[in-house]
Order: sequence, then structure tokens, then C-alpha cells
Amino acid sequence: MAKESTTIDVGEPSTVTKSTSHEKKKGFVAAAARGGYKRGLSIFDFLLRLAAIGITIGASSVMFTAEETLPFFTQFLQFQAGYDDFPTFQFFVIAIAIVASYLVLSLPFSIVTIVRPLAVVPRLILLISDTVVLTLTTSAAAAAASIVYLAHNGNTNTNWLPICQQFGDFCQTASTAVVAASISVVFFVLLIVISAIGLKRH
Amino acid sequence: MKNESTVIDVPAESSSAMKGSAPLIGVARDHTTNGSGGYKRGLSIFDFLLRLAAIIAASVAAGTMFTSDETLPFFTQFLQFEAGYDDLPTFQFFVIAMSMISGYLLLSLPFSVVTIVRPLATAPRLLLLVLDTAAMAFNMAAASSAAAIGYLAHNGNQNTNWLPICQQFGDFCQKTSGAVVSSFVSVVFFIILVVLSGVALKRH
Repeated sequence: MAKESTTIDVGEPSTVTKSTSHEKKKGFVAAAARGGYKRGLSIFDFLLRLAAIGITIGASSVMFTAEETLPFFTQFLQFQAGYDDFPTFQFFVIAIAIVASYLVLSLPFSIVTIVRPLAVVPRLILLISDTVVLTLTTSAAAAAASIVYLAHNGNTNTNWLPICQQFGDFCQTASTAVVAASISVVFFVLLIVISAIGLKRH
Repeated sequence: MKNESTVIDVPAESSSAMKGSAPLIGVARDHTTNGSGGYKRGLSIFDFLLRLAAIIAASVAAGTMFTSDETLPFFTQFLQFEAGYDDLPTFQFFVIAMSMISGYLLLSLPFSVVTIVRPLATAPRLLLLVLDTAAMAFNMAAASSAAAIGYLAHNGNQNTNWLPICQQFGDFCQKTSGAVVSSFVSVVFFIILVVLSGVALKRH
């Protein structure tokens, strides 16, 4: 077997190695920068979750304690009103409590996305479960809002009388709880959008 | 700056061996174009079909609620003998909301087609995801508030002396309940659409 030989000129090695290592550093900095803005998104996500926990716990407990007892009574109307007089408000209290506990359980996942901003799986899990919980929250808030609207205005066509004229405090407290739940819906939409942007590839 | 030279020995082999044993230097698996583009295109097609189904569900809900009038053949001096969606503001909101959602879904079909044609573009998918999330929340609000009123119409509320009107207006109640169910089906489609967009946005 005849051996062939060839001569390769390796010219200017020092500058060549300098430029490749410079490119490597640039690539590393770019990766860290990409991770940087995603880490910022994750921190914002975490803070939003904390705020949403506060608001949902507030909404659920406000509705839970929305009782009123009138100082008089008649032979037709009840003189007590509480959240358990309305199945929709019962659903509201339970659903918002479930949402609050979900948010607490999702905090570790949010921390994982802060620590590993480029990981896809935690963000995808958060996106899917946030979507489901968004529908639950919206459902509870909207159903309670429709009952609160009915209690304020009544309906002449169906002969449903507006009870807020007797139970003013109860109506006010229930309305506050519904408004708080609606704010938490906005937070959830923001959380979903943050997760989606964090998932984006480059 | 001195030029360095090096000598590399290339062992010559017989011609037949050289022809046969060309080493396969790593078939470059194209991760960036055809591979992931393929499954993302499949997701986009599924997204498009789901949108068509959601259009049908949303417009059926709006139409059923809109035409849910009922007139009773008798009358009393106390109760109304006509019932329609416009007797209840929540049902009016439902019809308007479901119509808006059907319109939104129709307008989002071109964006879905764009994600089929360009499976790797992230901007259309992100736009669709954000708009779909908002539309889903809106849809769920309309559906659940109408469901609450429908529940009240079926069962009434003794504590507030609200009488269940379904005992007189059976057909009206049935149609409105059907509209609410169709609207919940549309919400499920929206959930799947949002999750699809999220998965398709994923980086590799």
C-alpha cells in the first residue's frame, strides 16, 4: 500500500483561535440574553401568581361571609340572606377556593421557570393548567355576576323581585366578591400570554 | 507570524475499497425545517378544523337562543304568556356574545391558514393564542351566566321567592338549555385551540 502524504499549511493560528473563541463567547452571551428576558417574564409570572392568590382568597372569603340579617320580618319574605341561599354563590365560593389552592400549588412550577428559563415542559404545564383554571374562574365569576345583576334589577317578565332593595349590605358584599373574581380572570389571561411568549422559539 | 506546516499521511487504499466504504459522516438531520415543520403543520391543520367546528357550535348556540320564543295558548291575569330571549338581559348578552365569537372565529380562519402554510412562524400563532384566550374567557362568561339563569328558571329560588318559569314555558327552557350546552361545547373547542397553539409555539 503506497502511502500518500500531503502538506497542509496552517497559517496564523493565534488570531484564528482568538476569533473562534470570540464567536463562542458571543454565542454564549446571546443564549444568556435570550434566557434573560425569559427569566424576566418568569419573575413577572411569579409576582402575578402571588397577586392572583391574594385576590382569589379575598373573593372567596368575602362571598363566604356575605350574610345579612334584617332587623324586621314579614310573613312572606325571608329576613336572612347568606351565600348558601343561592346555589350559584355556593358554586362561586367552592370554585374560587379551588382556583386559589391551584395557584398555590403552581408556585413551584413558576419558580422552576425562573431558575431554568429555557425549559419548555414547566411552561407548557403551566399554560395548559392555567387555561383550564381560567375557564373555571370565568364560569364562577360570570354566573355569580348574572345572579347579582338579577338581584339588583329583578325581572318583570318572570316576576322575579329584586332582593337588593331589602338586603343592601348582602348585595354590596356579593358584588365586591364578583368584581375581585373578574380581576383575577384578567390576571389569568396575562399569565397565559406570558407562558406563551416564554415558550416561543427563536 | 510564522507559517506553520504540518504533514498528514493519507493511507492510500485500493480503488474498490475506496468506492465501497465511503464513511457516512453523520447524515445531517434537519431539525430546523422539515422535521418539526411537519408535525407543526399537522397541528395547524387540526387547529383549522377545530375552528370550523367551533364556528358551527357558536353559531348554533346564538341561533337557538335567538329563536327560542314561546307563546302559551292561554293567559292569566298575573303571568306573562310569552317568553323570548329578550325578556332576560343575560340571554340578550348571550346572543350578542356568541354572535361576536362566531364572527371572531370566521375572521381568525385566514390566520390559521397562514400557520398551515408557514408552520414555523411564531407571530401568527402567538396572535391566535392571545386572541383565542380572550375569546374563550368571553365565551365562558356568556355560557355560564346563561347557565345560571337557566338553572334559576328550572329550579327557582325559595329564599328569594323567585318562581321557576320552566313549568309554564317548557319549550323555551329546553331551547335555551340546548343553546347553553352548545356554547359550552364551543368553550371546550377553544381550550383545545389554546393548548394547540401553545404546543406548536414550543421551541426545539
